[in-house]
Amino acid sequence: MTKLKKIGFYLMIALISFYLLFPFYWALNSSLKSEAQLQMTPTTLVPIDPQNGSFSPTFMNYASVIKDKQFLNGIANSTIVAVTTTTMALIAGSFAAFAMGKLRFKGRKQMLYVILAMTMFPQVTILSGLYAIITTLKLNAWFSMILTYMIFTLPFTVWVLTSFFKELPVEIMESANVDGCTPFQTFRLILLPLTAPALVTTGLLAFIAAWNEYLFALTFTAIEKNARTIPVAISFFTGIISRQEPFGEIMAATILVTVPIVVLVLVFQRKIIAGLTAGSVKG
Amino acid sequence: MKRKLLTMMMAFVLVLTFSVAGCSSSKDTNDTSTNAPDTTQDTDKDATSNDDSSKDTTQDNASEDKKSVVTVACGAVGIELDLTKKAVELFNQDNPNIEVRVLETPDLAQDRLGLYLQFLEAQSSDVDVYQIDVIWPGDLAEHFVDLYQYGAKEVAGDHFAPIIENNTVDGKLIGMPWFTDAGLLYYRKDLLEKYNLEIPTTWDELETCAKTIQDGERADNPDFWGYVWQGNAYEGLTCDAVEWIVSNGGGSIVSPEKVITVNNDKAAEIIEKAASWVGTISPDGVTGFGEEDARNMWQTGNAAFMRNWPYAYVLGNSDDSAIKGLFDVVPLPKGDAGRGAAALGGWQLAVSKYSNDPEAAAKVALFLASYDIQKLRAIEGSFNPTIKSLYQDEEVLEASPFFGSLYDVFTNAAPRPSTATAPRYNEVSTYFYQAVHSVLTGESNAKDALLELEIELQDLLGFEVGAPE
Amino acid sequence: MMKGSQKSELAKREQRLAYKMLLPTLVILVVVALYPLVNVFVTSFTDKTFASSKKAEFVGFDNYKELLSVKIMKLPKVENEDGDMVYENPLRILPRKPMRYKEAFQFNFFGNRYVFGATNPDFLSSIGNTLNFTIWSVLLETILGLVVAMIVNIKFRGQGTMRTIMLVPWAVITVVSARIWEFMLMPTRVGLFNMIGDWLGISNGSVSFLTNRALQLPTIILVDVWKTTPYMALLLLAGLQIIPGSLYEAAKIDGANKFKQFIYVTLPLLKPALVVALIFRTLDALRVFDLFQILLNNQRYSMATYNYFQLIQAKRMGMSSAIGVLIFILIFVFALIYMKGLGVDSDD
Repeated sequence: MTKLKKIGFYLMIALISFYLLFPFYWALNSSLKSEAQLQMTPTTLVPIDPQNGSFSPTFMNYASVIKDKQFLNGIANSTIVAVTTTTMALIAGSFAAFAMGKLRFKGRKQMLYVILAMTMFPQVTILSGLYAIITTLKLNAWFSMILTYMIFTLPFTVWVLTSFFKELPVEIMESANVDGCTPFQTFRLILLPLTAPALVTTGLLAFIAAWNEYLFALTFTAIEKNARTIPVAISFFTGIISRQEPFGEIMAATILVTVPIVVLVLVFQRKIIAGLTAGSVKG
Repeated sequence: MKRKLLTMMMAFVLVLTFSVAGCSSSKDTNDTSTNAPDTTQDTDKDATSNDDSSKDTTQDNASEDKKSVVTVACGAVGIELDLTKKAVELFNQDNPNIEVRVLETPDLAQDRLGLYLQFLEAQSSDVDVYQIDVIWPGDLAEHFVDLYQYGAKEVAGDHFAPIIENNTVDGKLIGMPWFTDAGLLYYRKDLLEKYNLEIPTTWDELETCAKTIQDGERADNPDFWGYVWQGNAYEGLTCDAVEWIVSNGGGSIVSPEKVITVNNDKAAEIIEKAASWVGTISPDGVTGFGEEDARNMWQTGNAAFMRNWPYAYVLGNSDDSAIKGLFDVVPLPKGDAGRGAAALGGWQLAVSKYSNDPEAAAKVALFLASYDIQKLRAIEGSFNPTIKSLYQDEEVLEASPFFGSLYDVFTNAAPRPSTATAPRYNEVSTYFYQAVHSVLTGESNAKDALLELEIELQDLLGFEVGAPE
Repeated sequence: MMKGSQKSELAKREQRLAYKMLLPTLVILVVVALYPLVNVFVTSFTDKTFASSKKAEFVGFDNYKELLSVKIMKLPKVENEDGDMVYENPLRILPRKPMRYKEAFQFNFFGNRYVFGATNPDFLSSIGNTLNFTIWSVLLETILGLVVAMIVNIKFRGQGTMRTIMLVPWAVITVVSARIWEFMLMPTRVGLFNMIGDWLGISNGSVSFLTNRALQLPTIILVDVWKTTPYMALLLLAGLQIIPGSLYEAAKIDGANKFKQFIYVTLPLLKPALVVALIFRTLDALRVFDLFQILLNNQRYSMATYNYFQLIQAKRMGMSSAIGVLIFILIFVFALIYMKGLGVDSDD
């Protein structure tokens, strides 16, 4: 790359990063403001003192969020629910995707659509049906959420992974066959590692989808308040009086919730990518 | 190396966060609920529900060892929850046999309704007492018991008559009034004084005052506006618009006698007037304002007048408020009707038909809405009582001096037509605020919008059309 | 003969294995999805009221008729009070029984004036809003997502960080991200955009992005593009990663420039990933709820928020189910178009 090209490239990166990050920055900025500072006209790019205009962030919002048991509880619940959901979706999904992408059987195409059909209704339409199932089965809140989140995570994982399995050259299957591998062994030992980037991606997307889900969680944790996930916990943030909305606290909570995920991704990223390159060399 | 360290630190923080969360959740069992471990709620709840057939017959002799469990679904906002828990404690001193659990529900009325509907659709016995909005008794009546059958007869007369009337459906008392709300006009004392103006009592006066102050203040504050209110397309606009129309003698959409009255000149006139405020004395964006948007603008000192509920009074006098001590409230201005009107808001306690022990649940509801508890809530949380005599109570008035001036507002509060149009009030209200909103944003004029609305309501309700009395 | 039976034996084994591996998914499907789905279909043919003991009656296609009936009628000219010739008020022209047709819009055609009446103009406009929203947001997200994905697929210093940054909008809780934008879009200088507009002198600092009808959809689309571009980018990136580098090398040797490489190597190989990403993005966009609900309230509906209105506010469960079914069908149509249109459906 020439120097000019390089500069242009990094400029573009900077532009995209700015675009992706500035609303998040605005959340950070807002989380450091008091209610009065939030409502200043014109609004300020950093928290400043309304009187003398000096830089003066407040950590009040963070303090009250961290003090809130429901918030920390929510993080734990969300983690448990989202991790379990993702794991289940990936296991069931990769099995199904292998069948769909690499095995020949009757009704394959129809099956793909049937699985997609699972997720084609708006959430609110199927909510009461789901609620009926849950009350009949007497499931607790965690299981209710994990199970119902399958509705949107499973079809997604199946479809994405199927498209990746299809991409893998048929020769791999055949050569494995010659080596005496059963199809399942081929799947577990050879294909699965090869689709690892797709697994990570779908897992990540499914994890975040489950982490962010609100309507189901609100309904299914209505009775069990200790099972409330983080979006629900945040929606339960309230001011000191009804109708008052603690915007600063909501923003602080958002920052506190998003940062660990981002860090997680960062860590994952390194590990996975390293693992991947190693794996593919071996494969 | 450095990077690795950072990663490790981050990971450590994460682990710490989760372990803290773990600790606190286990600690929760001891103190979130006043007297019941929460995590075991489901299991022992089931136990109670399974043997409820035997309960009726054996209640008397089993009462020493058997506890009735009553779950109250209510507001969770800051002090609100603490006060409810306090009340529950008091209740348990006299009623050790009834175990009361507090279930927090979302603060947003729409979310709360959605949740309640799921419970009611499933005829769930998980919740016994529901905190319901003043506009819900009609719509939800079929799911709740008649509190008159459970001892509300003696106390109903102590409460404001319009609220009791609102909560009475086919002669049954669906909800016990818990606390009330009404629209008020907030004004800046200092600014009225600065511009030598009287407190406005009519909409015309309000317009003039707002304009005068706005023109004057704009010199050093370009963000200043005369009057802020709730103009977004939501239930809040129904409240505001009902206030305008009632105060102008245009009726309240549908009369209690089930006559559609909304399409009349008085109504059209005042809605057009309100539309003329947008962009003149009120910001263009007011058609997207809810309560909080109006309050935020007002509380930073960027508005001369505001229509809002009493909650803004307490917050306006908080320490970081720019207008602390500089404002007061009066009843909303009047139009042709000769007196102002305040939309009736507030919350009631209703007892679910699907409760395993409605007797105990009603007892809890009546206790929470009783004189002593409402007094406690008025003093410590500024909740407006629904019991008339509390507005003369010295301790209450000392804690919230503005309560005294609210008495007249509450006795004359204008209910929205929720009981007359039940169970279709929500649709009526939606069509209504959408019609008003279309006038405010200039997409339609009031005459056409109201004619269209009238036909819409006829189709929806099948009621006659008539003039407001 | 011997060989043939062996082969079919093998095929049978393969088929059995396929069913076995599909089993977990199918079990989950039956447990969670079957009942609600069937329930929605059945309910859509009844007049069931939500949360009510009122008995539901079978009403056939009435709900669908009420949602979708339209009528175009000519407006005659009549004399008004002032003696001027004006077009008749559509209210007087459109039929009211057995179902009332409401004016959706008017149009001129060969010198005549017509009114387009619908039994439920709110729902029809919600379809329009949703389709408009879907087409624009998916299109923009795909283009932007592709750009982002290709950039982070290049090896450079800070690639890992960039991949993480890329994910931030998607990681912000959906309900909250709508609130962040609502705050930035405030119609006064409390909002970031109005502050900037005022500062640059291009507006008076009180643009109401969310109540001005012309600005509503573009605003919402931009918010959605911000939020979901990462989703697209990540899926496309995964697709890019499995394209073997050797193919590019080969193309280079053949003298293909960067653009040609993109057209002849990248795009065809990316197609399967692209189709899946498109299907799921479209599916989400057609069901868009949070953004419309939080940012536009009941000012303007998407199909899903109108559905919510019918269920929670109007408690018409039959009607809301019918809307759900219509959304379902629409999504299906889109999925088929993608599959056929991009030729991914072929069994290879």
